[in-house]
Amino acid sequence: MLEAKDLMVFYENMLALNNISIKCDDNQIVGVFGANSAGKSTLMYALSGIMLDIQKKEDMAGGERITLTGDVLLQNRSIMDMKPSLRAKAGIILCPERRRLFKESSVLENLRIGGYLATRAEAKQTMEYVMEVFPALIKLKKRLGGFLSGGEQQMVAIGRALMAQPKILLLDEPLLGLSPFMQSTLIRGIKVIQEERNISVIISEQYARPVFPIVDYAYILENGAAVMEGTREELMDNPDVKAAYFGVS
Amino acid sequence: MSTQKLRKERIDRGIKVRSDGLYALMSLRELSYLTLPRFVLIAGMLSLPFLMPDMYWQRVISIVCIYAILALSFDFLAHYVGLVSLGGAFFIGTGGYVAGILNSYYGIPPVLTVPLAAIIGGAICTLMLLPCLPLKGVYFAIVTLMYPLFMARIIEAFDLFGGTDGLAGIDSFSSAFAEQYLVICTVLIFLFGLRRFVTTDMGLIFTAVMDNDQAVKASGINITKYKALAVFIASSAGCMAGACLTHIYMWSGISQFALDFSILPIAATVIGGAGTLAGPVLGCFILVPVSELLRDFGTLRIVFYASVLVGFILFRSDGIMVFMQRKYEQFERWTKI
Repeated sequence: MLEAKDLMVFYENMLALNNISIKCDDNQIVGVFGANSAGKSTLMYALSGIMLDIQKKEDMAGGERITLTGDVLLQNRSIMDMKPSLRAKAGIILCPERRRLFKESSVLENLRIGGYLATRAEAKQTMEYVMEVFPALIKLKKRLGGFLSGGEQQMVAIGRALMAQPKILLLDEPLLGLSPFMQSTLIRGIKVIQEERNISVIISEQYARPVFPIVDYAYILENGAAVMEGTREELMDNPDVKAAYFGVS
Repeated sequence: MSTQKLRKERIDRGIKVRSDGLYALMSLRELSYLTLPRFVLIAGMLSLPFLMPDMYWQRVISIVCIYAILALSFDFLAHYVGLVSLGGAFFIGTGGYVAGILNSYYGIPPVLTVPLAAIIGGAICTLMLLPCLPLKGVYFAIVTLMYPLFMARIIEAFDLFGGTDGLAGIDSFSSAFAEQYLVICTVLIFLFGLRRFVTTDMGLIFTAVMDNDQAVKASGINITKYKALAVFIASSAGCMAGACLTHIYMWSGISQFALDFSILPIAATVIGGAGTLAGPVLGCFILVPVSELLRDFGTLRIVFYASVLVGFILFRSDGIMVFMQRKYEQFERWTKI
């Protein structure tokens, strides 16, 4: 469904993504794992089109020159030149790293802002659905985004992304800085959402163990290149992967 | 179908890389590469009074330098301390009045009033701005914008220091050359002094306060104290410019609190290149003479100003200085991906 072909991103002369080709089919959860500076966030920005926006801003301010080559395909149609807002309309919704909630708005308002692209009925239905998947949010409806704990913020961020009616949900490090309990709660929630809403999910993380049980296919990035890929079972059996991303020696 | 893809890359010039290190000391070529831009600026500015013998243009040079000092102080505060100041008029007015009072009431000669105005005026400005320094955000900009209006109205309402007529009959500098070399040297000293200063330990603290004041506080540093120090440096520069202005016109009055002094330095900073310190000076050398040339068009000058400003923000928001520096230090070429 969503596919990146030979994607390369340069920040000035630094190669951030090196010939990456990844693919995410319908109703699949794809994991992208890698250490800091492996290129996970750059990949997410390139897929969601935010990179075009960053590129334009840098260009206007005379900053870094960002070069993008390769292709991003949505249902076999190239969307490489598509603006991020249009990509969102086409169903590619990014839930950004470090959540980026609207801190001065309440949980309910945060979710409503996310529903800008949805019809009124869809928004109402999705709002109820988010409360159903993350019941912890019911009591927090009126609380401001900045006063939530990390885990609650992440729930709102995922909820906000869902409100935009995604076909493909891009989750950039959703487990960043969360307790193991909260991590498993969220991962279960993401699995439930993927199954019940029939969407595809691309999820990036540093540490693979909590995410691995739900992914169908995974890529491992190192220094901007995809060094390994495979289904869950294939990667599980690989001793290198085990050592580096599961903490098993 | 295989299309060959090309990408434009920026590479540092060899001579730039070599002159970054100790190698520069061993070769005349590298030494001159390093000193050429600075030499052009210094020599150019020092020879201006000779190149422009016309009285009118000599006055313009002095005004340019006064604006350049203001632009330097704005750039320093905004891009090295993170305080956006709209207080150019406040600094000029305070410095101007302090110099005027010292000269006309106490008979102190200009040689002493200029440095005294810098110190006393800087202290007054810092004290008046002190209450808003612990705050973060737009408060500093609002307060600095409000003070010149406030001062002008107070002087007008209470008829202080000559009221609306101002203080007339102030001594001028001994000669036109003395006047011009004073302001030119002040600009050069502030320019190179600040450039050096921002790389010292204290300059690092200023930059850190701009980036993340909480982390600086957590390192056990009193940020209000440092902000006050930065405001003192910037406002003394502005007050010194104000004192020079008073002695140049032999008059100080409430028009020294005019907002032109706040706005033009900002425009010059945008055009010259924010955060480069040399850029704002360059911006003043472009904007002020152009505005003099356009004097015939009256208030339409403002239209020209505004369009230049908008144009620069849209198409060259890095500013002339950054652009030229990049051309001087780097070259571009196409490479295969």
